[in-house]
Amino acid sequence: MLQQIIALLIIIYFISRLIKEKNNQEINNKEFAVWLIFWLSGAAAIILIKQIDRLVNWLGFSGSGINFLIYLAVIALFYLVFKLRLRLAKLDSDLTTMTRHVALDNKK
Amino acid sequence: MKISCVLPALNEEKNITTVISSLRPYVHEIIVVDDGSTDSTAQLAAQSGAIVIKHPINRGQGAALETGDNYALKNGADLVIHFDADGQFLATEIPELIEPILKNQADIVFGSRFLSKKTAFPFGKKYIIMPLAKFFTRFFLGIKLSDPQSGLRALSRVALKTITINNQGMAHASEIQIKAFQNKLRVVEVPITVIYQDFGQKLSGGFRIIRDLLINKLIK
Repeated sequence: MLQQIIALLIIIYFISRLIKEKNNQEINNKEFAVWLIFWLSGAAAIILIKQIDRLVNWLGFSGSGINFLIYLAVIALFYLVFKLRLRLAKLDSDLTTMTRHVALDNKK
Repeated sequence: MKISCVLPALNEEKNITTVISSLRPYVHEIIVVDDGSTDSTAQLAAQSGAIVIKHPINRGQGAALETGDNYALKNGADLVIHFDADGQFLATEIPELIEPILKNQADIVFGSRFLSKKTAFPFGKKYIIMPLAKFFTRFFLGIKLSDPQSGLRALSRVALKTITINNQGMAHASEIQIKAFQNKLRVVEVPITVIYQDFGQKLSGGFRIIRDLLINKLIK
């Protein structure tokens, strides 16, 4: 119970920061929505941990609900790292295009 | 027919003058793309009479080749040769390399280290890395060429206009071969000699090439 309260307090802290960033226009509506859904899902998972335990058992997994959430989090993290890698590659490619323009313009 | 040679160079002050001198009898212009060198490569190349284009920062061999190709195309090149600045290729083999294009038998000519017995390969490269690279390009990319990673090639103006190099690093060699076949260009291979200054690409470099090809496909 105490662990759940601590986890919820941490999530409330992150949501408050998210709202502050939105008010300061540091993030756009889409980013705000994605992160809000992310943190609210986390809060829901913490509140409904018993129900998730039952769901995981019903699905036939041997671990507890919290283990299942950790597996999901690891999968999500892998996906985010992959997306980040693609974004970096795109930025790298854009940097090359700019470098080429500068080099060819200097040659004119 | 205007023949240009594109020479990507990174910190090649030891070799650049010799390489440019060796190329001069065979081409009309030599375009050195200095890829962010910190030594005097660019100055020496300019003193040797080459056209020097400077990348302010290092972007990789593939990026430098594409910059050189863009310049050559804009300046009316009919045929472009990709050559290395480290002295591993022989300029004396250029006439054989460009002959199929001059005779209108090919749009792109790849030099192959495997059609000739002249190249002294390091053992690991000959018996491990190259067979693996050949297997990959043959079965996964459908390219049936004897040399999957040759850096010496000649491109007609048609090929230059058709092929844009997107891979900045060493994956450009495979990318050019893939695009040559995808665009149904007339492809010819000719034997070349390579003088290895060092081991060159290692097995890890091969994996990096596969990774770069995949990532480049995904960001398009």
